[in-house]
Amino acid sequence: MNAMIIDLDWAWQPFESTADRPWNHALAAHLFRRAGFGADNEQLDAATKRSVTDVVGDLVTANIQETNFRQVADTLAATILAGGDPQQLSAAWVYRMMLTPTQLLEKMTLFWHGHFATGAEKVKDAHMMWQQNQFLREHALGEFRELVQAIAQDPAMLIYLDSAINRKAHPNENFARELMELFCLGEGNYSEQDVQELARCFTGWEVKNKKFRKNRYQHDDGTKSILGQSGNYDGEDGVRIVVEQPQLEMFLARKWYRFFLSDEPQPTNELLQPLADTFRKHNLQVAPALKMLLSSNLFFSEHAVGRKIKSPVDSVIGTLRCLQATTNTEMVASGLLQLGQGLFYPPNVKGWDGGRAWIDSSTLLGRSNLFGKILEHKSTRFDGLSLVDYLGSRDVRNLDDAIEYFELHLLAVPLSESTRTQLQETVASHVKEPERQFRALLHAMTSLPQFQLG
Amino acid sequence: MTHSSCFNRRRFLQSSVASAAALGIGAAIPDCFVAAAESNGKDDERILIVVQLSGGNDGLNTVVPYSDDAYHAARPKLAIPTSDVIKCNDELGFHPSLGGMNDLLHAGMLTIVNGVGYEHPNRSHFESMDIWHTCRRKDEPRPDGWLGRFLDQQHSAQQNSTSGGDVPALHLGHEQQPFAIASNHVRVPTVKELSQFQLQGSDSQSLRSLLSEHQVTKASGNELLSFLQSSTASALAASERVTKAAKQYLSDVTYPDTALAQKLRVVAQLIDAGLTTRVYYVQHDGFDTHAQQAASHAVLLREWSDAVSVLVRDLAAHGHDDRVCVMTFSEFGRRVAENASEGTDHGAAGPMFLCGGRAVAGFVGRQPSLTQLQDGDLKHESDFRQVYASVLQSWLGTESDAILGGRYETLKLFNT
Repeated sequence: MNAMIIDLDWAWQPFESTADRPWNHALAAHLFRRAGFGADNEQLDAATKRSVTDVVGDLVTANIQETNFRQVADTLAATILAGGDPQQLSAAWVYRMMLTPTQLLEKMTLFWHGHFATGAEKVKDAHMMWQQNQFLREHALGEFRELVQAIAQDPAMLIYLDSAINRKAHPNENFARELMELFCLGEGNYSEQDVQELARCFTGWEVKNKKFRKNRYQHDDGTKSILGQSGNYDGEDGVRIVVEQPQLEMFLARKWYRFFLSDEPQPTNELLQPLADTFRKHNLQVAPALKMLLSSNLFFSEHAVGRKIKSPVDSVIGTLRCLQATTNTEMVASGLLQLGQGLFYPPNVKGWDGGRAWIDSSTLLGRSNLFGKILEHKSTRFDGLSLVDYLGSRDVRNLDDAIEYFELHLLAVPLSESTRTQLQETVASHVKEPERQFRALLHAMTSLPQFQLG
Repeated sequence: MTHSSCFNRRRFLQSSVASAAALGIGAAIPDCFVAAAESNGKDDERILIVVQLSGGNDGLNTVVPYSDDAYHAARPKLAIPTSDVIKCNDELGFHPSLGGMNDLLHAGMLTIVNGVGYEHPNRSHFESMDIWHTCRRKDEPRPDGWLGRFLDQQHSAQQNSTSGGDVPALHLGHEQQPFAIASNHVRVPTVKELSQFQLQGSDSQSLRSLLSEHQVTKASGNELLSFLQSSTASALAASERVTKAAKQYLSDVTYPDTALAQKLRVVAQLIDAGLTTRVYYVQHDGFDTHAQQAASHAVLLREWSDAVSVLVRDLAAHGHDDRVCVMTFSEFGRRVAENASEGTDHGAAGPMFLCGGRAVAGFVGRQPSLTQLQDGDLKHESDFRQVYASVLQSWLGTESDAILGGRYETLKLFNT
C-alpha cells in the first residue's frame, strides 16, 4: 500500500458507515485500541449503538479525570511516593491505565511522556517524576502552548535536559536544542545559531529545593536573535517564538499520525496538511485535531486497521481492559520495563521509536512469557471472576466461541481457518480443566504474530 | 613490548580443554536451526564484551610498579609487598589475586594498556563514568553512548532487514543500564537470566509448536504482519539455539560462584549458541575503596580475574577466542597516596585490559610517573578514546571518528 493512492478529500472527512465497512464491534474495538487501550464487550455494545462522531466526541471531551477514580489513584500513588522509588511509581501508572474511565486522556498522557521524554534513571526523584506525570495528564487534551511553557519549567525536565546547570557564563544547549528538534519543530527547521541563542534565554532557570526558580544572577539579559526575531528575550519568549513557527503543526500532525493511525509507510506532507491546519486553526488545542483524526475515514480504513505494531502497553494493558481483568500491577510494570516500555523509563530523550523497533528475539518471546505469568498469577481475575465464569456470563462456553470472542476483542486482523484449528489442537490436552484450557487459549492467542498488530 | 614466557598458547589450551573439547554444540544443532542462525547474519563476526569495574579501581595496586620506591613511599600501609607481587617484568607485576590474569598474559591472551585516562580528569564517579560512556563532557549534548552510536551505525547498514533478529547488544545484570549502550535507534535489553530468551511456563512446548507451524501461513499483503511472522520464526530459532546451548553446554572449566562469573558464563553460552549479538556488557561493582582497602580490593580483583580468565579459557575451548575480545575499564584510578583510613580516594588514570585470542600480549604504553603528578594523581599516557578507536577500527571493523567525535591515534592492540 502506498500513501500516494489515498484520496485526500475522502481521507479526513468524518467516517461514514458503508456496507463494505460498517460501524460494528470490530471497528469500535479498533477505535478503543488506538484512542485508549481497549474496550470490553459492554463498551463495544454501547458504542455501536451510537454514532462514531458521538463516541469520539465523548473521548476527546473527557479531558479531566473522573473525580472518584482520581482520588483512589492519587491515594495509591501517594502511598508509593512515600517509599520514594520511581520503579514502584510505574505500578501506580499501570493501575491508572488498567482502570481509568477516561482512556484517551490516559493514552495521551502516555504520548506526551514519550514526546517530552524524561527518565527517572537520571532524575532519580520519584516525587518530581510524579508531578510531571500529573501535569501532563492535566494538559493532555488541552493547549499545546501551555503544555510547552509548563514543561520548560518542570523540575524533572530541567534536571533531565541539564537546564538546571544552564548558566550565563556557560549556556547549556541541551534543552534549547530538544525544544526545537524533538518537542516542536523537527530537525532541519532551525540553525545551530538558533540553538545557541535560544539556550541563552533559559539561562538561570534552575531547580532549588525541588522547585523551579529563576536565578536572575545567572540569567543572560542581553539581546538574542532566534528564528529571525531579536530582543532581550527570556525563556517564556523563547518558547513563544518557537511555538509560533509554522513547522510546528506539521511536526505534531506527523507524530500523531504515527501514534494513532499507522506505523508505516510515512505519510506525505500533503496528506497531513488538513490535520496540521486544524491544529493551528484551533489555536494549538489538541482535542480538535485528535477529534478530526479519530473520526476520519482514513482512521477506520484499511490504511489504519491492523497497521500498527502494539506497544507493550497496548498489548498488555489492552488485553487486560478488553477482558476487564485485574492483576498484580508491579508484575505488569516490571514486565513492561523488560519489554522496552518502562513507564517513567523511556530509553532516551527521543522517547520510544515504536513500530518495528519494539520487536526482537527477546521481546517477542518476552511478551508471550509475560502473558503466561499474568495468566498463571493467582491475583488475575476477570471482572472479579474466573475466566470460565467471566466468559460464561457472556454466553461463551466452548473453544469455538472463546476463539471468536478473543479474536473480536483482541485482534485487529482475522485468523485463518487453519490457525483456528491449530489453536484448538494446542489447548486440546486441557479438556478436563476448563479454566486452564481457556487461559491456555488466551495465552496462545496473545502469542500469535497477528496479535501483535494493533 | 611483548611478553615471552615458557608457556605458550597451545599448552595453555591443552591444559584447559578436555578431550571432549569439540563439545561445542555446533555439531549437535539440527540443520534447520543452523540455517536459521545463518539467515540472521554471520555468526563469525567479532564480539566485544565490556567489563566495567564500577567505583574507581585502584590501578596502582592492580598492576603494581613494585620496583619504584615512590610507590612504597606513597603507600606505607597499602603497598603490595614486593615478595607478594606476581612479577611480569622488572618494573611491573600483578596483585597477588591476579593469578588468572597472569595465566592469560603467559598464554599470549592479555594486553594491558598502562595509564589510560583523559585531559582535565573529573573525579565524580557519575561524571567520569558518563565521560567514559559517551566520550562527551558535561557541557556538550550527550543523548547516547559510544557503543550506542556504534550500534546505530550498524543498524542503519541493516535498515531493510526483514525480521527483528537477535538483539544487537545485551546488558547482563540487575543494575541500571549503562549509558555507553544508550542508542537513538536500537533498543538494548537488560537481561537478568537466560530464560528470557526462552518460552517459559507449562505450555511452552505446545506454544512452540503452534508458533512454528504457524509461521508457514502465507503473507497477507500487510508488511508489518510478514515482519512479525518472520520475527517470530527467528525468535523461536534463537530460543532453540539458546535452549540447546544451555542444556548441552558442556565446559571443562568451572565458573566460580560469583555474580560476575555467572554472568560471563551466560555470555559464553549465548556466544556459543550462535547469537549474532555483537556487544555484551557486564558490571562489577564495589571498587570505591576509601577505607580498609586491602581486604576488599583483593576479593574484588580475584573475582574479576578468575571470572574473566575462566571465560577466556572457556571461549578458547569452544573455538571462539579468536572472535571475542573482553575489555575491562574503570571510571578512574585512585590517588597515588593512600589516605588515613587505609584506603584511597578518587584519582585519575589507570590501566585497561583486553583479553582474547587476538590480543597483542603484554604491556602497551608507558606506566605514568609516580613523581610527576597532576594534583596528586597520575597523568594519563593514553587517552581512553585511543583504546576505543583501536577497538572500533581494528576489532569491530568500523570507522571511529564519528562515533568518538574526533580522530584519535590508534594503539596496536590486536594481532590480525
